[in-house]
Amino acid sequence: MDGILQAQHIIKYYGNKNNITKALRGISFDVNAGEYVGIMGASGSGKTTLLNCISTIDTVTSGRIFIGGKDITTLKQNELSKFRRDELGFIFQDFNLLDTLTAYENIALALTIQKINPTEIDCKVKEVAEILGVTDVLSKYPTQISGGEKQRVASARAIITNPSLVLADEPTGALDSKSARILLVNFQKLVSEINATILMVTHDAYAASYCNRILFIKDGEIFNELFKGDNTRKEFFNRIIEVVSLLGGDDHDVI
Amino acid sequence: MSFNLAIRNVKKSYRDYAIYFLTITFGVCIFYVFNSIESQQSMMALSENEAIALKQLNRIMGGVSVFISVIFGFLILYANRFLLKRRKKELGIYMTLGMERRDISKILTMETILVGILSLFTGLILGILLSQGLAVVTAKLFMAKLTTFSFIFSFSALMKATIYFGIAFGLVTVFNACTIGRHKLIDLIYAEHKNEKFKSPHLVLSVCLFILSVACLVIAYWMILKYGFSRSDRFWISISLGCVGTFLFFFSLSGFFLKLISQSKRIYLKNLNMFVLRQINSKINTTYVSLTLVCLMLFVTICAFSSGIGTANAITQELDDKLPYDASYSIEIRDQKSSEHTQDFDIHLIAGFEEQGVNFERFAKQYVEVKYYDPKVTFHLMYEGEDFDYMPWAIRLSDYNALMDMQGKPALTLDDDEVIINSNLAVIEEMEESLKSEIAHHSEILINDRTYQTDLQSLQQNQLRMTGFSLITLIVPDTAIDGMLITSNDLNINYIAETELYEEIAMAAFINADFTKVIEDTGEDGFSISYETKIKAFEGSRISSALVAYLSIYIGIVFLIIAAAVLAITQLSEASDNAHRYGLLRKIGTDQKMIHKALFTQIFVYFGVPLFLAIVHSVIGIFVANDLVKELGRLDMGKDSIITAVIIFVVYGSYFIATYLGSKNIVNRKMI
Ligand SMILES: Nc1ncnc2c1ncn2[C@@H]1O[C@H](COP(=O)(O)OP(=O)(O)O)[C@@H](O)[C@H]1O
Ligand SMILES: [Mg+2]
Repeated sequence: MDGILQAQHIIKYYGNKNNITKALRGISFDVNAGEYVGIMGASGSGKTTLLNCISTIDTVTSGRIFIGGKDITTLKQNELSKFRRDELGFIFQDFNLLDTLTAYENIALALTIQKINPTEIDCKVKEVAEILGVTDVLSKYPTQISGGEKQRVASARAIITNPSLVLADEPTGALDSKSARILLVNFQKLVSEINATILMVTHDAYAASYCNRILFIKDGEIFNELFKGDNTRKEFFNRIIEVVSLLGGDDHDVI
Repeated sequence: MSFNLAIRNVKKSYRDYAIYFLTITFGVCIFYVFNSIESQQSMMALSENEAIALKQLNRIMGGVSVFISVIFGFLILYANRFLLKRRKKELGIYMTLGMERRDISKILTMETILVGILSLFTGLILGILLSQGLAVVTAKLFMAKLTTFSFIFSFSALMKATIYFGIAFGLVTVFNACTIGRHKLIDLIYAEHKNEKFKSPHLVLSVCLFILSVACLVIAYWMILKYGFSRSDRFWISISLGCVGTFLFFFSLSGFFLKLISQSKRIYLKNLNMFVLRQINSKINTTYVSLTLVCLMLFVTICAFSSGIGTANAITQELDDKLPYDASYSIEIRDQKSSEHTQDFDIHLIAGFEEQGVNFERFAKQYVEVKYYDPKVTFHLMYEGEDFDYMPWAIRLSDYNALMDMQGKPALTLDDDEVIINSNLAVIEEMEESLKSEIAHHSEILINDRTYQTDLQSLQQNQLRMTGFSLITLIVPDTAIDGMLITSNDLNINYIAETELYEEIAMAAFINADFTKVIEDTGEDGFSISYETKIKAFEGSRISSALVAYLSIYIGIVFLIIAAAVLAITQLSEASDNAHRYGLLRKIGTDQKMIHKALFTQIFVYFGVPLFLAIVHSVIGIFVANDLVKELGRLDMGKDSIITAVIIFVVYGSYFIATYLGSKNIVNRKMI
């Protein structure tokens, strides 16, 4: 399999000399195309920071990140936005849909900023909406649809550009368990059907059990790694719970 | 410590302060310019009267300035409120850092004063520079020669600007202190998070309302073009329709275009078009009122500029035709009853003056005394849609020809049973038309039981008098006058040359003339004596045209600044409300150029559309106003509209740029 993402010893410090927060203290890992990777860790362990660095929304203090063979830590400002636009898909915890746009338009937005021919946009939007089961709500505004639907619309926006990597920061965080399951099943479908590569931050063991592989982060470092292998989802879930309790049972945030 | 912090803050958020700065700077600048008119005197040669007039002009401007400074006070408060809103979070952070409210107030006060002083200073410098230029305009309006170029500086205007704007800063400071004192820390920190609820738009309704608004405007335009100011009821209906139409226009415009453009996927899905359209539409609920006001204010501005400057020009230009002689003196019978006794009213003006020691040969090239009579004829005319009776005066043919000779115009001849009508009605089309139809229907006129013929071809249109109106005058054969009562006795004079010297002699003669004895001798009391000279009339008209021009420019600029500032502040508040939307665009990889373009388009539309509609309104308005001031002469629109355009371009443009840069700054600040 091809390596989509290589993170090499990423360090990220916040603040200045007097008041320093070491958010990431040297993280390295690889992700291959078609993988569905989960990142778990206690609150404040650096998950969001890691995702922001990979997504080029934030810059690393040191270390290198290769996506599709390109070192993104050396890209310039306008190359960065081009990179985000063409190579990445984002799914945020709070959906981040534009309230002024209909679901259809929110999904189409990802293509219009790529300056795709408008005539192609329409059929692509409908195609992706079909996969994620949001065809019925396309003409509605975000305020008119449920949280689960919103997150699936956001997912549709993330994958419509065929990104090499989809980054999701606690996508199920704001969803009830049923909506969360539908979303997670959809993510699995994306991986198996259109060979998407997904990197998903979560602190929910149940959500993580849908992944193929889990990276555990503690205090800005990789603490453990689990592969699903031939396990059933149930078995994988139990193994995740074990690691989570190892990580620190004192942290209620984890469960 | 806090002073340094204040300086640092102002430097850091200079883009936020830009609108505040611009508003005060422009305000102080025009305030100074229009209060310093009196001091321009040093640069030009003015007659005593003109000097007095200039003083008076200055006083009027001073009065208007009080009113204008109040408006600016509110505007500054408004700008300040926005600024405070923008910075609440920052202030909240100071508080969490343990700074006391009093200290924060102090920082804020210092910032206000700092920006205030800076803009006061800039405004004054700009004002002093501009007032040099205005002196040239004043000189032109007064037709005075610029004597020496001397640097004009008005200390009183400077003091006035400083004091008035000082009071405004004082109010702002008190206001700020109150705001900081009242707010809870939590409100300050989370000030940014108050997001308005988004309401989904009713596009179909928008389309209907847009069509309605266009219909309103078209009807309003049609009505005012058709009736102008002649029918006041129609006029007000048209104005009301115009206002309603404008309001609906802004209310529905974005919805209409959204609906229209979304029909074409090719355009709608191109780049960020969809985003921008939605963006504008989403904010329309909070902005249509201010857009309407802005549009109407711009309309007032453009009309004030154009008509003001134009009217001023027109007054001066066309006066020449209205003043056919160099000087004129008349005794007119005021009271109709007393004219019963004027059978033997027999004043000889020339003889009278000569008796009083006036030697006409010393200053007059031509001097002619003519009498007007009451022929007891009535014309039925129309004015403002209503009938009214007009009783013309009559003049002897020989007198008339003498006047024509003075004016360098050809003489007329009359048959024994013929009269010719001279009219000055051309200014009032409706009356002119009704007079013409009256003549066409009744070509016979009965005077003293004798019938005379007249016709349309012989109708004359000359200005006969200078001291009063005589809209219609019958030119009758000399013999026809017998038995008519005198209405006025006029003495018209042309000087040897049109100079101040002869003017002085004539004026002295007029002022010292004493006809009371003669009048008493004839046993009359209902007389009015009046005199006018061309030079004096020009002076008076220059003063009134300068007043018209300055008042309209002054008020026009003030409205322009208000419009632009209100627009800018609404836009900037919107930008901070929308920062997260632009932030999201950036997160999903929209490149900077595209985002800036979207922002630019959005602000451009907001600034452009009200201006566009205001220009359309103004074109119609000026067209109508043109009709109105036709009696004063054609407006010279070409040059005036260039001046208007330049002023609008500078002021409106500055606010536009400041708004764009400010919004860009707000939008770029937010990413993570
Ligand atoms: N912008 C920032 N400035 C300073 N410190 C930050 C910033 N963002 C995150 N941190 C710190 O970095 C650490 C990791 O944060 P984060 O990546 O958000 O954790 P997680 O997402 O795993 O909960 C935390 O200690 C947090 O306080
Ligand atoms: Mg997080």
